[in-house]
Amino acid sequence: MVQVNAIGDTCPIPVIKAKKAIEALTGADTVEVLVDNDFSVQNLLRMAHEIGAKASAEKTAEGNFRVRMEIGDAASKLENIPEDCLVPAAGRKKRTVVAVTSKCMGSGDDTLGASLMKAFLFSLTQQETLPDTILFYNGGAYLTTEGSASLDDIKTLEAAGVEILTCGTCLNFYGLGEKLRVGGVTNMYAIAEKLLTADLVIRP
Amino acid sequence: MRTRQKVCVVTFSDTHEAIAFEERCHARGFPGRIIPTPQSISAGCGLAWLIPPGETLPVKDVGAYEAIHEVTLWL
Repeated sequence: MVQVNAIGDTCPIPVIKAKKAIEALTGADTVEVLVDNDFSVQNLLRMAHEIGAKASAEKTAEGNFRVRMEIGDAASKLENIPEDCLVPAAGRKKRTVVAVTSKCMGSGDDTLGASLMKAFLFSLTQQETLPDTILFYNGGAYLTTEGSASLDDIKTLEAAGVEILTCGTCLNFYGLGEKLRVGGVTNMYAIAEKLLTADLVIRP
Repeated sequence: MRTRQKVCVVTFSDTHEAIAFEERCHARGFPGRIIPTPQSISAGCGLAWLIPPGETLPVKDVGAYEAIHEVTLWL
């Protein structure tokens, strides 16, 4: 067994230390990480889950936490794990995702809804704090494609660092595959992951 | 790169007036776009028409509107 002392370390240091310990293993083994805060426990358990390692956590007599990870062939999956706080700690910037599911904002009159959506996307460009990601799916896919009245706004957001992603299945369904004009194409696994790991999801 | 720029916006007394104005501008190829009425302006409608910097718009020929304002926006 390999023991890692991350007492006194804050996120993401315990995850980085655990990754290094796992990478140094030459075969199946157990890695035990000592930490002193619940956020680190959550991050380590999340990392173990991501690489398919069995993991458990317990409180020690000293009031710290011991996270045990049974590493089989899990080390090979480590390269996909970011050295980042997978679970947000207090004070960290919230990860915000905007999910645009339609050409219209709200339900009711579609002409009004389309105008409201255009106004909403423009409003985003006027904010001091921008979202991390905007996902466009189902009818929302029309907004990132040729002919969209919001293309310039979405390009402005992308240039300012906002990740712009459109559902590839939706582009295909609506015959828009060749008409995407801003951002990248994504799939449902990535959409689910973005929504699940966001601190805040906004659906206009 | 976003910069703060002075622009003119046309405001309306209600939403139907704003949407009708937008449709007429599009039909006649006039420059501009619908935006939410900037918070610094008091207007009857939450939608306004932004005239892009450097562009001119024959506002009176387009249709009914409430007023024209100069505002500063991120563009």
